[in-house]
Amino acid sequence: MTKILAGDLDTHVQRLPPTIPVDGEAPVVVFIHGLLTDSLASYYFTLGPAFAAAGVDVVMYDLRGHGKSGRPATGYQLERFVSDLVSLLDAMDITRPVHLVGNSFGGSIAFGLAAAHPERVATVIAIEAEPPVQAWTVRMAEGLDLAKSQLTQDAVIDWIAVNNGKHTARLSRAAGRLLQVTSMLEDIPVSDTIADDLSAIRCPVLAIFGADSGLSRQVPYFESYLASCRTVVLPDQGHSVLIERTDETRDAILGWVRDHALGRVG
Amino acid sequence: MSVETTAPVTEGQVTQDQITGEAVLAEISGMLRVLLDEYGLDDVEITMATKFHEDLELESIDLVSLSADLKERYGNQVNFAEFIAGFDLEEIIAMTVGQLVDHVVVSLREAARG
Repeated sequence: MTKILAGDLDTHVQRLPPTIPVDGEAPVVVFIHGLLTDSLASYYFTLGPAFAAAGVDVVMYDLRGHGKSGRPATGYQLERFVSDLVSLLDAMDITRPVHLVGNSFGGSIAFGLAAAHPERVATVIAIEAEPPVQAWTVRMAEGLDLAKSQLTQDAVIDWIAVNNGKHTARLSRAAGRLLQVTSMLEDIPVSDTIADDLSAIRCPVLAIFGADSGLSRQVPYFESYLASCRTVVLPDQGHSVLIERTDETRDAILGWVRDHALGRVG
Repeated sequence: MSVETTAPVTEGQVTQDQITGEAVLAEISGMLRVLLDEYGLDDVEITMATKFHEDLELESIDLVSLSADLKERYGNQVNFAEFIAGFDLEEIIAMTVGQLVDHVVVSLREAARG
């Protein structure tokens, strides 16, 4: 297992170099997973290998508190996740702008990095994600409160086991524990935010939504305010776009990276 | 020919006959025991029928670690990423140790055949 000390965080990283010859430098795509029940496995078993096979330099990592990365008790504001990623890129000597694929909360980190360090980011690909504006902090506070109150109850975990399977139940219990042993619930709602006009995001953005997820309501907002934006809305689909619509997600992002890469991507 | 099942199956000159399910199972069990040790589970029986999730309580992130171990051990002779590309997440979770062992045996035999 590859662990890299990024800043002060022991970070679990899986890098898949391109498996085909590439003209010039391969584009670097960094995959950022979501909160609580998620880890880099969600990419490792979906998009990662396909991107490497298409000529992309793939970087997947576990966020602080998640998977096999370190789990400090405190320090879970969005800007900490952003600075972790900057430290990781530095530690891996990746200095050219990268494409950031962020799923759910991972997308908020991608937007946060694009706003704070525009020179490090070529494009943002946001899957079912929100930019870290003020209203986002309120929704996150509500969601995390609900998660903590629910996922720490045995009855709820038992219900999840019956209705969603044992695997989801086990992940849910682990998520409840994560909220109990860290200050994530307190930290995320007081994260640094960007202005509602999204003027801080200057790079091109590809935003992918499930039509039935509440987040797809952001499409007109993104298209009005973001300087350069393409949106894709998958019909009959909720929040689990990455897992349930892997092929369409892969094709949309590979096409996007091809369009925005200097090197040829197969 | 006698087959030493505990010796690394790819060390030195390997003939196809030496690449057995028992030998590969022993190696993969060793990798799994290191993983399980992190969770304080050091006394679990591992057979071909053992399920990664159901029996060993491993999560998908643990299979990422196992995949890295396989790559370290067998190099490019075994491509776990390619093997699992045809599975969805549910199938990966339901996978048995035996399915992985069979895949490794087939891959090593193909590599030994050149």
